[in-house]
Amino acid sequence: MNGTMILHILLGLLLLAIPAGALYVFDKPQLRNLGIAVGRMAGQLLVVCLMVWLLVKYDKIWLSLLWFLLLAVASGVFALRRMKLPLAQYLPPVGAGLFAGPLLVGSYLLWASLPVEDGFGARWFVPVTALLVGHSMTMCIRGLSTYLSALKADEQQYEFLRGNGTNHLHAVLPFVRRALQAVMSPTIANLSAMGLFTMPLLLCGILLGGISPIDTFILTLLLVVGCVASSLIALAVILWLADRQLFDKFGKLR
Amino acid sequence: MARDGQLTCITGAEGSGKTTLLRTLMGFLPVGSGFVSVDGELLTVLSAHAFRTLMVYLPQQIQMLAHQLTPPEASVSEADDYAVWNALLPCATETPQPSPLSPEDIFRLAEKTLSEAIDKQIVIADEPAAQLTPELSERMLQLLRNQADAGKTVLIASRRQLLIEQADQIITL
Repeated sequence: MNGTMILHILLGLLLLAIPAGALYVFDKPQLRNLGIAVGRMAGQLLVVCLMVWLLVKYDKIWLSLLWFLLLAVASGVFALRRMKLPLAQYLPPVGAGLFAGPLLVGSYLLWASLPVEDGFGARWFVPVTALLVGHSMTMCIRGLSTYLSALKADEQQYEFLRGNGTNHLHAVLPFVRRALQAVMSPTIANLSAMGLFTMPLLLCGILLGGISPIDTFILTLLLVVGCVASSLIALAVILWLADRQLFDKFGKLR
Repeated sequence: MARDGQLTCITGAEGSGKTTLLRTLMGFLPVGSGFVSVDGELLTVLSAHAFRTLMVYLPQQIQMLAHQLTPPEASVSEADDYAVWNALLPCATETPQPSPLSPEDIFRLAEKTLSEAIDKQIVIADEPAAQLTPELSERMLQLLRNQADAGKTVLIASRRQLLIEQADQIITL
């Protein structure tokens, strides 16, 4: 980072004078909150970008995988806190799901599908898998919380099915269906709302990275499809692994 | 011992363990002492599922099985502001309990469940008339009586005099 770059940053940050000025006139107490939020955002961005810089600089697949593992675990912790679920009980399945789904789909995209060279280099591996983990985490919150709360609210239905000879796998299917609906319903809504005038940030980001518009189209399309596939694989792994935590040996919800 | 072709009624005061006994017989709860066997075969935690494939079960809280009659509709979502990958983190979803079934729907569900399990040999019903009107209780009794007449083992838990009086065998806890 040289002097010119610092000057550019400072000039850019001058734009903050507009919202800060507006708040100073109309809502002075919020001014402090704006300062804290901008500071926090800048700090977080700096940390993330330094990490990515290191990953890209050393460009070792094991290092990228280690970072990816940490990201999956951290996302799992974040998702579980959001759902107010015990970490000790649910982190192993959630972390594993958030690792497996994005890794499988990301590897497939980078190896076979995306029009990029050296897909497993940190330059591509890091942003693609981060995007998949981020989306899978969001969908994990929707899917797992729906599954758990539906099981709790409709425990009678599970027991009814079990009591009538349905095996465990088939007895949880109505609840899996509801988790799937909770994941797919907002996804479908978002996909269909992707309009010409509200350009998705991902598309903007890829364009800003210097990729041609046609390649940007392909990348965006495939990454969005990848996000959906990754979140479903993650959810399936999470539900499968969480099953033993959820039911006792008599098939009763713990 | 419950026998084929008979309607056996387990009765007793509230909290006497009728439901616990039925649930134990189905392998949902561990046996404290003694054992459960079906046609001489011991029912254990591991074998319980195999035995339950021979059973029809009408639970005590059957009125809460609305989704067994009508699967829940998926909620319609609005698009987030920044499309899929930038969605704000959602909050954990809370699923409300289904609305209780009406007495008519409870009877319809019981009838449907029994008619779909024509080849099952054991019928277990926990307070089958608790949520029903007197008229539907009579019809429920007839439904269960028909199962026994077809040679099935019918085991019910009830405090309703109507059902107790019509049972071939009464077990009081």
